[in-house]
Amino acid sequence: MRKKHTTGKVADTTLTYIILLAVAFVFFFPCLWLILASFSKSGTIYSFDGFFPQEYSLASFKKLFTDTAMYNYPKWFFNTLFVAAGSCVLGTFLTILTAYTMSRYQFRARKPIMKTTMVLGMFPSFMGMIAVYLLMTQFNLINHLWGLVLIYSAGAPMGYLTQKGFFDTISKAIDEAARIDGATNFQVFRKIHLPLSKPIIVYTALTSFTWPWSDFILPKLLLKEKDLYTVAVGLMSLDETEFARFAAGSVFIAVPIVLLYFCLVKNMVNGMAAGAVKG
Amino acid sequence: MKRKGALLMAFVMGLSLFTGCGDKKEDQTGTNKDTQKSNGVFSGELEKNVTIRVLENDTAISRGYFDELIAAFNEEYKEQGITAVDANMDQYLDLANDGPYGYGPDVLYQANDIIMQYAQGRHIYPLPVETMDCYKQIPENAWSAYQTEADGSTYYCGVPVNVQAPMLYYRSDLLPEDWETAWDQDGNKVPDMVENWNNLYAYSVERHKEDSSKYGYMKSLFDVYFSSGFLFSYGGYVFGDNNTNPDDIGFSKGESEKGAWVLSQLASAMNEECIDDTITTNAYSKLADGTYFATITTPDMYSTFISELVLVYESEGMSKEDAETKAKENLVMTTLPKLPESGDLTEEKPALKDSKSMGGVNGYAVSAYTKAPNASLAFVKFATSYEMQLKRSEMLGVAPARKDAAEQAGGVSALLYENMEKGTIVLMPSIKEVAQIWTPAQTFFTDVAKDAFRPEGKKKYKDTASLKAGLEAVDTQIHDAIFTLK
Repeated sequence: MRKKHTTGKVADTTLTYIILLAVAFVFFFPCLWLILASFSKSGTIYSFDGFFPQEYSLASFKKLFTDTAMYNYPKWFFNTLFVAAGSCVLGTFLTILTAYTMSRYQFRARKPIMKTTMVLGMFPSFMGMIAVYLLMTQFNLINHLWGLVLIYSAGAPMGYLTQKGFFDTISKAIDEAARIDGATNFQVFRKIHLPLSKPIIVYTALTSFTWPWSDFILPKLLLKEKDLYTVAVGLMSLDETEFARFAAGSVFIAVPIVLLYFCLVKNMVNGMAAGAVKG
Repeated sequence: MKRKGALLMAFVMGLSLFTGCGDKKEDQTGTNKDTQKSNGVFSGELEKNVTIRVLENDTAISRGYFDELIAAFNEEYKEQGITAVDANMDQYLDLANDGPYGYGPDVLYQANDIIMQYAQGRHIYPLPVETMDCYKQIPENAWSAYQTEADGSTYYCGVPVNVQAPMLYYRSDLLPEDWETAWDQDGNKVPDMVENWNNLYAYSVERHKEDSSKYGYMKSLFDVYFSSGFLFSYGGYVFGDNNTNPDDIGFSKGESEKGAWVLSQLASAMNEECIDDTITTNAYSKLADGTYFATITTPDMYSTFISELVLVYESEGMSKEDAETKAKENLVMTTLPKLPESGDLTEEKPALKDSKSMGGVNGYAVSAYTKAPNASLAFVKFATSYEMQLKRSEMLGVAPARKDAAEQAGGVSALLYENMEKGTIVLMPSIKEVAQIWTPAQTFFTDVAKDAFRPEGKKKYKDTASLKAGLEAVDTQIHDAIFTLK
């Protein structure tokens, strides 16, 4: 009986691992292919030996950062960084404030606002692109990176429900205790909730950064000058013979996201662990 | 309360149904009023201290020609304070949407069909071309690509700069060693395989037979721009009345099925990559590494082929200078080979006829949204002068539309000019209905290419009669697409 149970367990574990490995391979293979292609010496996929390049070099990356007469990747990169960082700071601030307000304060229009934002959130964002374009022409914000920052930041609080859910889990008794001790609303938010909310702030910051970092539609609509392109728009504008540059550019764009993730994930885990111990 | 709310919503929804409904005439005369008065716009009095934004094509920018052009123009007009700058936009711009809000260029360089689509939307100005010094140097059929009729008058909406038509590219070092004895029957010192399609087909078959990884002539056959020339050579055309009558669609006219048959025979000597656009994108590197012997594309891609070949030679240990010299020696660009009158590529000693091809005339136009039309016109005049067109041809390898510049440039430029004059280059139609030809024609050419790789019983086009029927279906589909949407 015991033997049968062990055999079944081994088979189950083996099958689970096989499925997980197969799924991981399906997701990982395209990334691996692109990374290897970006290091291809020939710079063209047509010289590959089967799936992978025959020889490897850093030539594509060197070209990406030095040959900027037609395709100014460094400039696109810093444009993207500016838009993503600006949207991250402003968007996180607005989202956290919105979520906190909805979670902690009771006011008359609270429920209708929550319902309305939930329904509006169901519409895809590109539905309003024509209106956004017309508005931006009126505000003279076409061809301005700040225009993008404002739109991303203004749109970010629409997704406040996750953050509100987090604030809801913090006991209101803590607020009341602080208020009895004479704390103002701002002090309650800053000194009690913010330290406890590190994981959700980090999560919000990461998502607020990654959305503009990889978005294509809005920058394509609002940025007409090549020097103002973000990386996504710039890579799409490459000539069909520029595969090496495209692969290198696509790989390099992942670097800041990966760095940001490794820097911030510690805070997410620590915050959660801290909450768990206190709880 | 709820009832009132529902009534209000119903009213708003009902009202929204009428949104966008309005008097079309009013819209046309309202928003585009300025364009209609364009003849008065070009007073000849230059606007002072203005900056004009010029949209050029990427090749002209990357090869440094555009820098030279604007530097020369700015020097010439510095006393008037006119400065030309790079519009710094994607070469495939959207003038119709960006122009009205002031984000388009003042002067744009585009293909004739694009410019004429903007002309129909009144996004560009008709130009006083008779006052330009290039007017008499450019042939009538090149001007006709930019011609439009309105209120009984003829207007020209662009100035031709260079002629684009398919050219044959081949590697002279990949010719068989005995070509002078075995492949030059007429003894004119030009290999037969680049003079007629029958020999090119025979050489393609032979090369692939010797080494299955090598090919002779290779091209993506689904590409309407390149493949339709085979139909034109046997009497086919796009639209009747010199490409102006969308009622008369002519892909199946004359003996165009023979052209389709030629394509199907060529496909049989290629691989399945000819079905989609793989060969279009890999031809540069495959010709450079010797996998392909020949292909066709436009003359402005010459420098890309050279760059790829130089990279291959450098990887073999050659210095950059030697690699460039050798690449220029070995890569040859010439006009298209002749076709057999019968359409049979296996026929020995066939009667030959000239190949026709679809071409285009790229040129400059002035945006209707420019605030400096006279300065923009001055730029167009300067950029189409003899000196600048010659320089453009030298630096980019393109064929000038000006007769004097083409003659001076010689070689392929002169040959292309000659072909345009004698009518073997059929200019892409400039009417908006041309947008409907691509998908049906592309589907047909894809099927023709696929047939070469289908088993005998499953072929879609088994003979010239079925090819003719297929082309007639293409005509019908295009006609339906044009007139159903109208």
